[in-house]
Amino acid sequence: MTHWAILSGIEGNLAAYEAVLQDMRRQRHPVSDLYVLGDVIGLHGDNDAVIQRLQSPRSSEWVPQVCIGWWEEQCFSLHGLNSSPDAPELMAQFGGDGVKRLWESVSRESVRWLRSLHFGFHELDCLLIHGSTVSYADELTPDTPAIQLCDRLVRADANHLFCGRSGQTFECWVTPTRLRSTVTTLDGVQDPQDQGKTPRRVVGIGSVGRIPGQATYTLYNPESDRLNFRTVNYGKAKGFGATIA
Amino acid sequence: MKLAVISCIHGNYEALNAVLSDIDAQKADQIYCLGDLVGYGPYPNAVVEMIRSLDIPTCQGCWDEDIVEGLNACECSYPSQLAETRGRLAHEWTNSVIHPEVREYLATLPMTLKLDNLCFVHGSPSSQHEYLLPSMDGFAALERVLSADADVLFCGHTHVPYVRDLEDAALSVNVQQPDQTESPKQFQVALRQIVNVGSVGEPRHGRPNATYVLYDTDTAQVTLREVPYDYAKTCLAILEQGLPPIFAWRLARGMEFAERADDPTHVCER
Ligand SMILES: [Zn+2]
Ligand SMILES: [Zn+2]
Repeated sequence: MTHWAILSGIEGNLAAYEAVLQDMRRQRHPVSDLYVLGDVIGLHGDNDAVIQRLQSPRSSEWVPQVCIGWWEEQCFSLHGLNSSPDAPELMAQFGGDGVKRLWESVSRESVRWLRSLHFGFHELDCLLIHGSTVSYADELTPDTPAIQLCDRLVRADANHLFCGRSGQTFECWVTPTRLRSTVTTLDGVQDPQDQGKTPRRVVGIGSVGRIPGQATYTLYNPESDRLNFRTVNYGKAKGFGATIA
Repeated sequence: MKLAVISCIHGNYEALNAVLSDIDAQKADQIYCLGDLVGYGPYPNAVVEMIRSLDIPTCQGCWDEDIVEGLNACECSYPSQLAETRGRLAHEWTNSVIHPEVREYLATLPMTLKLDNLCFVHGSPSSQHEYLLPSMDGFAALERVLSADADVLFCGHTHVPYVRDLEDAALSVNVQQPDQTESPKQFQVALRQIVNVGSVGEPRHGRPNATYVLYDTDTAQVTLREVPYDYAKTCLAILEQGLPPIFAWRLARGMEFAERADDPTHVCER
């Protein structure tokens, strides 16, 4: 049985990640694979500790498959490892303090490890990625225009697009019902084509570390196609236990 | 109003002259240009001077951008390795002969131009380097037109002209979120169009003739134009300038095999 746990946005929050791992261990259907869709690092936690935790899982634990997110790209930018130097996006959103904190909180070895990660994973008929194939910064939400969601699914070349950029949990079914396309060239008019397609969906997988005390992530069974959005309260709010959302 | 839309002149002064004469004969009221004034061809400065002297509203093309910004590390400037080797030679040659004021002018060109419900771009609204091929998925194509907030999207960059009608589109979205009721939504779009205007100076539709498009804003009628010109003159100049002879070979045939993109929708993140 395959049972995937898909998460994103740890953002250096080790306690949140531990709480999610614990919730995964408690599942009646054992989790077989763990995907981490970027934003492992952030501004408010212990980035190196989270990276070490991901790099060396305990013997009984899942080996996480990790891809690059928005925060990792900011880090690469600061280190001159991608095409836009000096992290203008980070500067615009978090100012000089944010730049300084990110620079100081990720060791050289950690940067090197992050740089070796993939941009996303194609598994079965699913694409697992931080933003979309357009960009790591592409933020898909339930409010994204329908045609844009449809475009991202077409570009993803997948029936299910799992993404973490927004931090929200949602499931958005898109049905491109019909569209008649007629191309005319210098040689004349070609036969019209109906471009309608089967339904496909965008899944927002939540955020582990963005909201202190409350982690969200997603369980997915590719065989039954069943999704289960999990909300895990931890720390001060722990008394309430894990709740199924 | 009758518009003439031209693109991808690529330093081919002969072809530009022939097309301008044809536009005159067709009595167009206004010309728009979708960029790639330079690159491949032997007369980049003369072409830019002509476009400027006629005050033709022009978008920045991928070659114009590369001359302004320098070739970027991203390999996406070229759709294939063969194209890259040739492209680099042409880029270096163009870069060495271009006048400073021409470079400055190219730097001022906008990515997009708008006229009422019409939008003009070089490649696509998201990038000068994206190829909107006629085989592109219809919904993805529709997204490009809608993202430009237009009814008709004029583009170039592929060097092969076409008109694509995207009609009677229907799309439904059903959002499910924890603790919220389902919210199905329907979207319908009656008609949008992509008009690829081909190439004046480096055509690749299988014949050596220059191509461009006429558009009547009153009737929404699109006419694909094909204009013969003395391409042998341009071919000779290509050889005389020491540009790769393959450019002359393919100009005389109006075809190209190395310029097919592996991933035409790739968007460069520079
Ligand atoms: Zn061109
Ligand atoms: Zn181009």
